[in-house]
Amino acid sequence: MPYIEVLGQKIEVDEDGFIQDPSIWTPELAKELAKMEEVPEMTEDHWKVVNYIRDYYLKHGIAPMIRKLCKDTGFSLKQIYELFPTGPAKGACKIAGLPKPTGCV
Amino acid sequence: MPLVDGLNQPVKAGPKEFEGLHLVPVPDEEKPAEALKWLDYYRKERRSLVMAMESCVKCGLCAEHCHTYLGTKDPNNIPAGRADLMRKVYKRYFTVQGKLFGKLVGAEEISMRTLEEWFSYYYQCTECRRCGHVCPFGIDTCEVTMIGRQILYNIGMIPKLHAATDVAILRTGNHMALTPSGIVDTLDFLSDEIEEERGFRIEFPVDKPNSDILYVPSSADFFLNPDTLKGAAEFFEYIGANWTISTRITEAGNFGYLSDQTRVQRELVNRVWEEVARLGVKKVVWGECGHGWRAAKMYIPTMSDYPTRMRVPITHILDEVAAYIKAGKLKLNPKNNFRAQGLPVTLHDPCNYARACGLVENLRVDLYASVTEVREMNPNREKTFCCGGGSGVLFDDPEMYQLRIKFSQKKADMIRATGAKVLCAPCSICKAQFHAMIPEHKLDVKLYGLIDLVGAALDFKGHRQV
Repeated sequence: MPYIEVLGQKIEVDEDGFIQDPSIWTPELAKELAKMEEVPEMTEDHWKVVNYIRDYYLKHGIAPMIRKLCKDTGFSLKQIYELFPTGPAKGACKIAGLPKPTGCV
Repeated sequence: MPLVDGLNQPVKAGPKEFEGLHLVPVPDEEKPAEALKWLDYYRKERRSLVMAMESCVKCGLCAEHCHTYLGTKDPNNIPAGRADLMRKVYKRYFTVQGKLFGKLVGAEEISMRTLEEWFSYYYQCTECRRCGHVCPFGIDTCEVTMIGRQILYNIGMIPKLHAATDVAILRTGNHMALTPSGIVDTLDFLSDEIEEERGFRIEFPVDKPNSDILYVPSSADFFLNPDTLKGAAEFFEYIGANWTISTRITEAGNFGYLSDQTRVQRELVNRVWEEVARLGVKKVVWGECGHGWRAAKMYIPTMSDYPTRMRVPITHILDEVAAYIKAGKLKLNPKNNFRAQGLPVTLHDPCNYARACGLVENLRVDLYASVTEVREMNPNREKTFCCGGGSGVLFDDPEMYQLRIKFSQKKADMIRATGAKVLCAPCSICKAQFHAMIPEHKLDVKLYGLIDLVGAALDFKGHRQV
């Protein structure tokens, strides 16, 4: 299993850099993951999306439907792609510490 | 994964996926011998494989009919060439001339390199069966790909995407590991949307006992395709159906069919019948998914462990819609279609509907009644080209993603040529592929499923109409 070094700690990730244990997620770790997803700095808007996804995942165990994410955060899909160039599923969800999505996505 | 010995390959499954699949991978040094045992097994088990191995005369007709070859110009992506990767091994060990003359007759010993080639090319084939449709001998090269993938699965060479999806199937009964709480919350959100759009609410019943109809949607609809779920709900509401969605089988697709046609594929088959019994269902209606409909229509009857008296009919939602249209029971108003909005629509025939399930004309019955203008692609119907994502080759590692763009080139050209502004693709894999490929090919189209467009054209006057 590959590892990344964050704040002096070894964090287990998969080949695509998704963390393997969602429970070890911290905002500091999110900032490091963001750098890997072409997000050099986490702004307030970034946190709004990431925190929404994170809360939804803790409550329901899945990523929110993309349209719901847009509606509840007030961002259009285009704005989400501007915030997270690698997309909502593989960029924003990864920063929020979710596992990599499977199936037809 | 990057290149392995110069071969494009998706990332392979690791210990975590093997644990979830209860699979012990064969050690690398034993893999060639073990694969050979399985090849021997399948040649005795499947006549279609022997036919493919023995009959091909390399006429080359399949080459120009394969979108992967057209997109990459890689000779191993000519269907006959792809099958040859297995055929040379078959010749060496199971034919007299191969045993005696070896390389002179194109026979070759099996090695780890052979298996790496299989892994590369059997996961570039999208199992669309266009080659099988044109082959003068009737060789279905898709069968070779399927057996190649199954042998690789048995020895522990599986793409991570397929293996992780298979794990989700065994654990949750769907590809995306949807939870009951997530399913209910998402559907509730969609009910809100319908209320905003139409001024009245349509509920999505979940796990409702004594339902007449079990609707089996694709799990990807819960993440990517809200209008497909809404369209289905609008149709069921319109006809006054007593229907439900089950949280134990929320999957119209079947990645088992695309990677492991034994344990994993069977899991979803059995879940259908368990839920039919639990919820007292009289009919199962399948959602939009190409390979999944083939796996359901063509495989469930022979794969099921359940006694026949416990089974009920399984139909496709787009066949159901067509039956209602033909009976004159659906009032559809194309001019009021708030999803197509009067724009010209083109229809993508999913390969598995067109060449494996005979679901061709009913798609047109539904579409022509729901939108104002349809522009057919050329070629279409059973001559359709694959979207380039078929059989779950929706890999996102950079090399494989580049291949997806090449595989979809032919389809992108066809869509562009129609000048349509709406692309109707009634299949989840096609939708996932097009979501990514529409921007890659700079196509100016909006993407919908077909039931999405039917639902939007339904002329509601208040609630239930039939």
